[in-house]
Amino acid sequence: MKYLAEYRNAAVAKALVHRIRQSATRTWTLMEVCGGQTHTIVRQGLNDMLEGAIEMIHGPGCPVCVTPLEQIDRAVHLAGRDDIIFTSFGDMLRVPGSDCDLLQVRARGGEVRVVYSPLDALELARKNPDKQVVFFAVGFETTAPANAMAVWRARELGVTNFSVLVSHVTVPPAMVALLESPDNRVQAFLAAGHVCTVMGWTEYEPIAAKYRVPIIVTGFEPVDILEGTLMAVQQLEEGRHEVENQYVRSVRREGNRPAQELVSKVFTLVNRKWRGIGEIPMSGFGLTEEFAAFDAERKFGLEDIRAEESPECRAGDVLVGRIKPMECPAFGTRCNPEHPLGAPMVSSEGACAAYYNFARFRSAPPLEV
Amino acid sequence: MAEERGPALAGGLVCPVPTTQYDRVQLGHGSGGKMSAALLRDRFLPALGNPVLQELGDAAVVGIGPAEVAISTDTFVVSPLEFPGGNIGSLAVHGTLNDLAMMGARPLYLSAGFVLEEGLSFEVLDRILAAMGKAAAEAGVPVVTGDTKVVERGKADGVFINTTGIGMRRAGFTPGPSRARPSDAVVVSGMIGRHGIAIMSARENLGFEVQVQSDSANLYPMVERLRGALGGTVHVLRDPTRGGVASALNEIAAASGVGVELDEGALPVPGPVAAACEMLGLDPLYVANEGILLAFVPAPFADEAVDALRMHPLGRDARQIGRVTGEHPGMVVMRTAIGGTRVVDMLPGDQLPRIC
Amino acid sequence: MCLGIPGKIIERHEDAGMPMGTVDFGGVTRDVCLAYVTDEVSIGDYVIVHVGFAISKVDEEEARRTFEALQEMSQLDELEWMKDVAQKSLSGMPPERRA
Repeated sequence: MKYLAEYRNAAVAKALVHRIRQSATRTWTLMEVCGGQTHTIVRQGLNDMLEGAIEMIHGPGCPVCVTPLEQIDRAVHLAGRDDIIFTSFGDMLRVPGSDCDLLQVRARGGEVRVVYSPLDALELARKNPDKQVVFFAVGFETTAPANAMAVWRARELGVTNFSVLVSHVTVPPAMVALLESPDNRVQAFLAAGHVCTVMGWTEYEPIAAKYRVPIIVTGFEPVDILEGTLMAVQQLEEGRHEVENQYVRSVRREGNRPAQELVSKVFTLVNRKWRGIGEIPMSGFGLTEEFAAFDAERKFGLEDIRAEESPECRAGDVLVGRIKPMECPAFGTRCNPEHPLGAPMVSSEGACAAYYNFARFRSAPPLEV
Repeated sequence: MAEERGPALAGGLVCPVPTTQYDRVQLGHGSGGKMSAALLRDRFLPALGNPVLQELGDAAVVGIGPAEVAISTDTFVVSPLEFPGGNIGSLAVHGTLNDLAMMGARPLYLSAGFVLEEGLSFEVLDRILAAMGKAAAEAGVPVVTGDTKVVERGKADGVFINTTGIGMRRAGFTPGPSRARPSDAVVVSGMIGRHGIAIMSARENLGFEVQVQSDSANLYPMVERLRGALGGTVHVLRDPTRGGVASALNEIAAASGVGVELDEGALPVPGPVAAACEMLGLDPLYVANEGILLAFVPAPFADEAVDALRMHPLGRDARQIGRVTGEHPGMVVMRTAIGGTRVVDMLPGDQLPRIC
Repeated sequence: MCLGIPGKIIERHEDAGMPMGTVDFGGVTRDVCLAYVTDEVSIGDYVIVHVGFAISKVDEEEARRTFEALQEMSQLDELEWMKDVAQKSLSGMPPERRA
C-alpha cells in the first residue's frame, strides 16, 4: 500500500536503529503518547532493538484505556435499554465497567453494534426512526472532527433520535500533568501524528519551552517511529528542546483548520476524568449548550450514574509509565487478555495487552500455556 | 453473574475492576480463539469426554473392524449466506471434506442436515443447494443422507447447515496435531486472509468494498499430492479456518508441546486483504481461511512439500513460512520484517475492528 | 485513537450537500467524507482517512523528499555497517551493542 509499505522498509528501519545507537551517548527516556504508536513499537519489537540507547515509556494514549469507569457504566446502562440501539467503535466492547462490559450486555439481549464511522451510526438513526441511536463518542482530538460532523449533520438533517455519549480527551493537558509530576522521568516525547494532523503543533511549543523537552510529531509506522526517535535523540544530545515534525506527509503546523472550526462549534473544553489517573482540568471535550439535544448524558438523565475508582489500581501507574506492565504483580497471571483486571489489558492498544500479546516471552517469566 | 471484586494483588492492593467471568454463551465462544477452547475444555469435554474426543482433532479416527475410519462433523452458520466466491452450501461441503483430509483420510460420503428459517426464499435455497451439489460432485463425494427442519422466522439466520463426513484413512499416513517436532518446516499452501475479508465485505455495517473472493475449496487433492511425495513423513495437516493461521498454529504448538517460529516476510497476504486489514485494524494472521492448509514436515522435505503443493492450481502460492523449535513450547513467535520479534498469541475471542 | 491510513481518491460526489469521495486503499474502496479537505483535493490525490473522514491530504512531494533522504542514509549506513561488522568480528562483539 502506498505511503504505508515504504515506512516498513527493513533496510531503512535497520539503518535508523543503527544511527540511533550511534548517536546516543547515554540511555534516553522517551514517551510515545499514542496507543497506535505503542502498538507498532511493541508489535515490531522496536524497544528491544533500541535497548540500551532508548527506554520507551508508553503514555496514556489509549482513549479506550483512559475512558472513566463511569462512562462505561453509563454506556452499559444505555445499551441495556430496549428503546436504544447502542453503537460504538469495536475496541470499546470489551472494556470492563463496574458490573460488566458491552459484549455481555449484547449477550443478554441488548442491541449493541460496532460501526466503523460515526456517520454510520447517524445513518442507522435515520433508518430506524422508532428507536433511539446513541453513539459512544470516545477518542482524542483525532476523532473529534468526525464526531462533531455526525452531530452537526444530525441537526442539519433534522434527525432527533440520534445522540452521542461523549468521552473525548485532549493530549496537551495530559502531557503537562505528566511533566508536572515529581517522579516524571520522560526526557522527550513522540507526539501523536494524527492528533497533530487535526490540531497542528502550536499547542506543544510552549510545553517544549517551559519543560525543556523535545517534542517530535511522529507517525505510526516503524520507520516513522524510528525517525522520530532519532530526531529526539539528536535534540537531546545537542541540548535543544523544540517541536519538530517527523510526519511531514500529513502534519502542518496549523493543522486542519476546517476540522478545528467545526470542533469548536460543536464541542467545548471541559474537565475530564482519565481512568487510572484522575481528573485533569480542561482536558476533554463536551457538547456545547447549542447541541445539548444530542448529548446522551442530558437526554437520558445519566448524571446519577457515578463510579469511584480505587486510587490503588496499578493500571494508572502503567498508563503514566511509572511501572512497566511486567512489573505489575498481576501481569500475565491474574490479569491477562481473557480476564483483564484493568483497561490497559483489554484494549489492544493498551500497554499491558501489547506487552502480553507481543513481548511477554522475552520480558516475563515462563508462563504455563 | 459473577460480581466479585478483583482478586487481591501482592502488597494488599485490590484492583477495583472485577474479573470478567461469563455465565452464559458469548459470541466470542464461537470465534475459534481462547474462549472457544475454554468452552470445550470446561463444559463439553467433562460431559462427553472419551479418549477419541480428547484429541480434539479436526476429525475423529475410529476403528471399524480392520479399517481406520475418520468421522467429522461441522455446522455452518455463516452470515451473509452468499458471499464473493461461494455460499453457505459450498462452504458446508468443503469444510467437512477438509476436516477429513486434514487427518489424512480420503473423504467418501457426506450427510447434510438443514435448519431452514421460515421465509427463506426458494431462489436463495436453490443457489445454496446447487453450490453444494456442485462441490460434492467435483470432489466425487456424494451426499448420501440428510435431514431438514423448519423453524419460525427469527430462529435461524436464513439457514444453518450441518455436514458430517466419513472417510478412509490410509495405512502409514497419519498426520495429527500432536506430531509436530522441533526443526519441522511449516508450509502454507496459499494466500491467507481471503475468506474472512470476503465475508466482512459482504456485511453492510463496515461499508467497504474489496475485490476478494472466498478461497473456499476442497483440499483433498493437495493432500493427495503431499501423500504421494512425502508419505508418512507429513507430521501435521491443518486448515486454518476460524481464528486464522495464528489460532491453528497455537493449537498445534500446544498439542505437540513445541514452539513455532514464523517469518513475517514469508507470509503470503494478497494486497486487497492487507489493505482491508489496515483499514479495520485487523491482523491477517487471525482472519479465517477456507481453502488453504498448513503442513508440518521434516525440514529436509520442505522443498519437496512446497513443490508437491505447487503442482496443483490451488497450491501455486505455496511456501514455507516458518519452523518448529524446541524453545518456548506452546508459543508462536514471529520474526518481523524489520528484524524484531513478537509473540503471535491466541485471541481471547473475536478480533474486533479497532480505531487506534 | 489514531488508526489513519492513506488512500487514493478515485471519485467524488455529494451526499445531501456533504462532500464525499470513494477512496481506494490499495484494493479496498470505501466512501469517505471529504468535508475537511474538500478545497485541497482532486481525484488522484492521496488522503489520510480516520473513521471514514479524510483528515489531511498526503503531501506527496514532502513524502518523496524525506523518504529519499532516508534511503540515502540507509545506503551510506550499509557501507559503514559492513566496515563495523568486519572490525567487530575480530573483537567478537556485535556492532549494534556499541553505546
